[in-house]
Amino acid sequence: MIRQTAALIIGQAVGQFSRLLNLGAGGTWPGELALSIDPHILKNLAGHIRKGIVIVAGTNGKTTTTLMIKTILEANGNSVINNSSGANLINGITASLIRQADIWGRLNCDYAVLETDENSLPAIVEEITPNAVVCLNLFRDQLDRYGEVDVITEKWALAIKNMNKKTALILNSDDPQIAFLGKKYAGKTVYFGLNVKKLQKYSFEHATDSIFCPNCGRRLKFAAIYYSHLGWWQCLKCGLKRPDPEFFNWESPLPGLYNKYNTQAAAAVAKTLGVEDGLIAKSLKKVSPAFGRQEELVHQGKPLKLMLSKNPAGFNESLRTVIGLKAKNILLVLNDRIPDGRDVSWIWDVDFEMIPAKVQITVAGDRALDLGLRMKYAGLKYAVETVLSNAINKAAGQAEEKLYVLPTYSAMLDIRKIISGKKIL
Amino acid sequence: MKFKLTIAWLYPDLMSTYGDRGNLICLEKRCSWRKIEVEIKNITLETGISELLTADLLFMGGAQDRQQKVAADDFIHHKGPVIKRMINSDIPALFVCAAYQAAGYYYKPYHGKDIPGAGIFDLYTEHPGDQKQRLIGNCASEIVNLSELKGTTLVGFENHGGRTYLGGKMKPLAKVLTGGGNNGEDGFEGGVYRHAIGSYYHGPLLPKNPQLADWLIARALEVKYRKKIKLQPLVSFEEKVAHKKMLKSIT
Repeated sequence: MIRQTAALIIGQAVGQFSRLLNLGAGGTWPGELALSIDPHILKNLAGHIRKGIVIVAGTNGKTTTTLMIKTILEANGNSVINNSSGANLINGITASLIRQADIWGRLNCDYAVLETDENSLPAIVEEITPNAVVCLNLFRDQLDRYGEVDVITEKWALAIKNMNKKTALILNSDDPQIAFLGKKYAGKTVYFGLNVKKLQKYSFEHATDSIFCPNCGRRLKFAAIYYSHLGWWQCLKCGLKRPDPEFFNWESPLPGLYNKYNTQAAAAVAKTLGVEDGLIAKSLKKVSPAFGRQEELVHQGKPLKLMLSKNPAGFNESLRTVIGLKAKNILLVLNDRIPDGRDVSWIWDVDFEMIPAKVQITVAGDRALDLGLRMKYAGLKYAVETVLSNAINKAAGQAEEKLYVLPTYSAMLDIRKIISGKKIL
Repeated sequence: MKFKLTIAWLYPDLMSTYGDRGNLICLEKRCSWRKIEVEIKNITLETGISELLTADLLFMGGAQDRQQKVAADDFIHHKGPVIKRMINSDIPALFVCAAYQAAGYYYKPYHGKDIPGAGIFDLYTEHPGDQKQRLIGNCASEIVNLSELKGTTLVGFENHGGRTYLGGKMKPLAKVLTGGGNNGEDGFEGGVYRHAIGSYYHGPLLPKNPQLADWLIARALEVKYRKKIKLQPLVSFEEKVAHKKMLKSIT
């Protein structure tokens, strides 16, 4: 108890101090410090949350899904806390809770909806018992940092097997390796997926990671594909097949196929926590875009839409959404800092070839030259601007209507800083 | 004379995790910009040997462990021996990362039994144990063993735990300037055997090193048409600028 109080006081003081100095809003190091004083502080803090915790994991869609769940739960009369995507490791999650606790470790809230980094999910479910864990999808992403999809799936399978059976496991039926996680779990499992026929495709894009049976290794048969390796799958050898999803036709408040999946996941969580259908539908309509995810901003009088695009599956979906919205001007920004992954090889797995020739493209970021080279080999015309502020000013200046900006993570933060004139996260 | 090349992309649905497609896009464009007709054939588990045999140039890329295991049986027992004969008759080939390892005799993991390779290249790979660091990062080297390209530089990104050691029939491709290279010890990167090249520079090796792409195209045409070929030069400005910037930032 003394240890926990010490951890809390120090953690909160450090958080206050760093916010005062505008070092980013409290960051992750208050959590880091508190964990070094009291390694089980997360468990103790979690115990004070009145109704429970929801954990959201997956390569793409964590932040938007977390926001959707939070919006629904709040509409149902709950007070809800969440973390930011910059704080989704165990230290960041701890920091987010510390910030909102009193020195006795009490948190004045009904729910915490927390997104977690792929590698941190096992440690988190070992430490706390959430009401629900959502696994959205797994795609190749920052391979130098996270490792390959199969490696992450193995770690998740082990963590889920040992998870407290009180937790409801919410899984994407359309992602073969995610759906297969349900077979390892003896507790309650709920599936979500898509059933809309008119959005189906019948051939794969290049970047797919799970098209072989997670049970027997045989090539899976896909009757329909939504994007990457998400679709209606079955194994003709061992008989494993896509489970019928219970949640599939909730209307998405945001454009993009990937947001349809996020919506089904959020509805599945809300229903599992006892929210009524009518209220779920009504409150989903109120969801506005999360930080950097289809966020609308204005720069020098021009409207701008920011769409975080950090891996092949996500980038392809951003491009498809932007093209669907009839974009005329696109700014692509590629950085290779730690939060982006140092390796930029993945840009060759993105289908830039789908961009219509008449779209005006500007490339920028630390690795603008690599992105430019990718455009050249996609047969597209483009302009290179190595200084980001110049790139935004020029691209916005030229934009006929809206400028669509597709940045990697650190580039997204830089852009927001340039536009708002200060650090935001 | 109108030239045509058939390029075999080995296991594109299994061995293509790290942007490997960049190499195919690069070869295809650099041929078509010179009016050389190109056909890319996807050669995977279900594809017959007769399709493979039509290839004038071979490429195989990196993969996840599980997918590598799925490909291994077909590669070692069915297509590997054919590929070995093709390479021995001077068909050019590029094997990147996991494919480079799999083309050797075996891979010795830290735990468990040796994983056999196709034995096309005179090399073996060992994992030195969990305590040893993976070799990860931007890297650069200078070509030492392709006479036409000697002294030119290569830039790329490596990410491997295994350490590869070359036998006498395999010459190192390049001298390491920055990075781990084959094994982090002997200062060499990649390997050359006849017209086949192996490299740890994963994914899109060719776009920023277009001289290597052109070398493969020229050798493929020479072997196919049995005459000395001098490729029409391309400006390659964007390639050179991107190459130089990376080289400068890490050496």
